[in-house]
Amino acid sequence: MKKFIIAFSVFVFAWSAFIHAQDVSQLTAQCAANAGDVMYLKDFVVKLDQGTPGGAPPTARFALLLSKNVVYRFSICTAANSDGEAVLQLLDMNTLLGSTFISATGKDFPYFDFKCQKTSVYHVFISFKEGRAGEGVGIMSYVKKL
Amino acid sequence: MPKLFIYLFIALVVAGSCKSGGAGKDASLEIPDSVLNMGIEISEEVMRDIVQNISSPVEMAAMIKELGVPYSNRYISPTDRVGNLTTSYQQALNLGIYAADLGYLNMNNKTSAVIDYLTAIKTLSDAIKVGQFFDFTTLKRLATNSKNLDSLMYISVHSFNEMDKYLHSNNRTNLSALIVTGVWIEGLYLGTQVYEISPNQQLAERIGEQKLTLDQLVLILDKYQQDKQYANLLVELGKIKDLFQAVNIRIEIGEPEMVEENGMLIIVQHDKSIVEISPELLKSIIETTEQVRNRLISL
Repeated sequence: MKKFIIAFSVFVFAWSAFIHAQDVSQLTAQCAANAGDVMYLKDFVVKLDQGTPGGAPPTARFALLLSKNVVYRFSICTAANSDGEAVLQLLDMNTLLGSTFISATGKDFPYFDFKCQKTSVYHVFISFKEGRAGEGVGIMSYVKKL
Repeated sequence: MPKLFIYLFIALVVAGSCKSGGAGKDASLEIPDSVLNMGIEISEEVMRDIVQNISSPVEMAAMIKELGVPYSNRYISPTDRVGNLTTSYQQALNLGIYAADLGYLNMNNKTSAVIDYLTAIKTLSDAIKVGQFFDFTTLKRLATNSKNLDSLMYISVHSFNEMDKYLHSNNRTNLSALIVTGVWIEGLYLGTQVYEISPNQQLAERIGEQKLTLDQLVLILDKYQQDKQYANLLVELGKIKDLFQAVNIRIEIGEPEMVEENGMLIIVQHDKSIVEISPELLKSIIETTEQVRNRLISL
């Protein structure tokens, strides 16, 4: 009986890992589809633990080379089982260019478009509101040439 | 208790092999000791910060299509030489080249040619043990129907991205670097060849801006320079890099603007990059790119 319990637990663990991989894949595909009539370029899968009280929220960071005269779309999707709600921000060095959550108004956007006029390295930051633990996917898409 | 660890190990292998290569080791895929034993020349923090999208199989093709330049198969690498690519170096580099070609074909809806390139990519990706990231049955099915272009594009690019993530997480960044180089050089070749036929200021600027991408690429490849093949590749890319030194990119500063239109958020950037590249320099870059690219595909 003990052996059965151990084997069953291991099976559940392995199956959970497999299912999780499939869930992330489905979330990515769904998020890319929800971005609209655009061309998918890249995805950013993020899973973060809860932040420490009073500390900065855990943040995943990705460096991207964006080209002048292109409109890019940045989308964010939160996994169904996520505790926190995902937020995607686009930065140019230390300057915040855009965010899917506007803290001044409390408004959320599923995506924003960035009309790039300067070819350079930018950064995408993904975090979860209030520093909560969470899972989510960010998508970068090509909208059109300016 | 030891049995528990054995069960867990087996379970992890089973779960992991659903997404990972689970490949047996192949001597040609191993990073040579000469490279492994080399001291890290750039910090891990810098390596982490190197751009995620150093070259995309589709961005250059998308721009060219929007410029209204007609499709031509002159710009793509022939697939009949796949059988001659026998080393992991050749296979990885050309996998990138064919990925860029596939992006160009997909953008132009050339379904019959897409099948050939999917086959070439399958052959090469299987050879370097990353074939599991490409669902070729689905890709071929999608390629036969022009209505499936969106799905085809998504799966093609997503598969490529997943393969790249896998290579990074499995200590095979040497192959990722080659694939990315292949994509980049083929994209630059495409852009420069199109420019020769249809000169366009935006395309000229895009070519000039490759200076920035090439700097990143060389930074990555430099890590493997103790390997003779990578060293030779750096010499080839160095010929293009030397020309790019004369490209001047200056920035005009402006404040970004955030506007809401029809419920959608749009960020308008008022910084501008100005690319200064003379016609003579552009001509030299076009010629050198063609020479370098043709040498790489004749390896």
